[in-house]
Amino acid sequence: MFTISETSINADKLKKQTLDPSAGGFACFEGWVRNHNQGKDVTKLAYEAYNKLAIKEGNRIIQEAHKKYAITKAFCSHRIGLLEIGDMAVWVGVSAAHRDAAFKACRYILDQVKARVPIWKNESWVDGESGWIDQE
Amino acid sequence: MNKNIEILFFGKLKETWNTNKLKLKTNSDDIESLYTEILSKAAQTPHKESIKVAINDEFVDWQTAITDGDCIAFLPPASGG
Repeated sequence: MFTISETSINADKLKKQTLDPSAGGFACFEGWVRNHNQGKDVTKLAYEAYNKLAIKEGNRIIQEAHKKYAITKAFCSHRIGLLEIGDMAVWVGVSAAHRDAAFKACRYILDQVKARVPIWKNESWVDGESGWIDQE
Repeated sequence: MNKNIEILFFGKLKETWNTNKLKLKTNSDDIESLYTEILSKAAQTPHKESIKVAINDEFVDWQTAITDGDCIAFLPPASGG
């Protein structure tokens, strides 16, 4: 399941939802707001989403991961709104019988979410300016 | 035939059109011609090749026909994660 969160991402809750007795392992990626980007000092950032389409596209990506890899459960949550340095922006977790599928599916979900889900980042810099960030 | 539509802009395209939402009557038959129509309202010329389009919360292509009551969204490249 893919969700958009307007408040802090609850990683513990998401992990509990991802665990399963048939799974032999769990792979997870947490994306955090860092204090620099493209040579500039970042003070905070804001994420905006086209919520309805983002949730549809995010769930399509999770379904694709289930078809491509032998995984048990997969969840992804993306934060929107104003975030400070160190805040969690995205969480991906995948459980599977074996590690290879868990690692690969976790990477696939994150890469596809970054490329396809309609969410946009607006950074604020130490010089007081701010701007929309292009795809990395 | 005139159609009443709503247009949504996201990310940097909000700055390009100086708004996040437009309501208008249009004679444009598809998204491609609607885009050409609203370019006159844009503060800068956007990079069209990088824009994705959606109608009523679903991705579509530029040749998709517009019908009365549609909500059309112009989306810059995603930059989440």
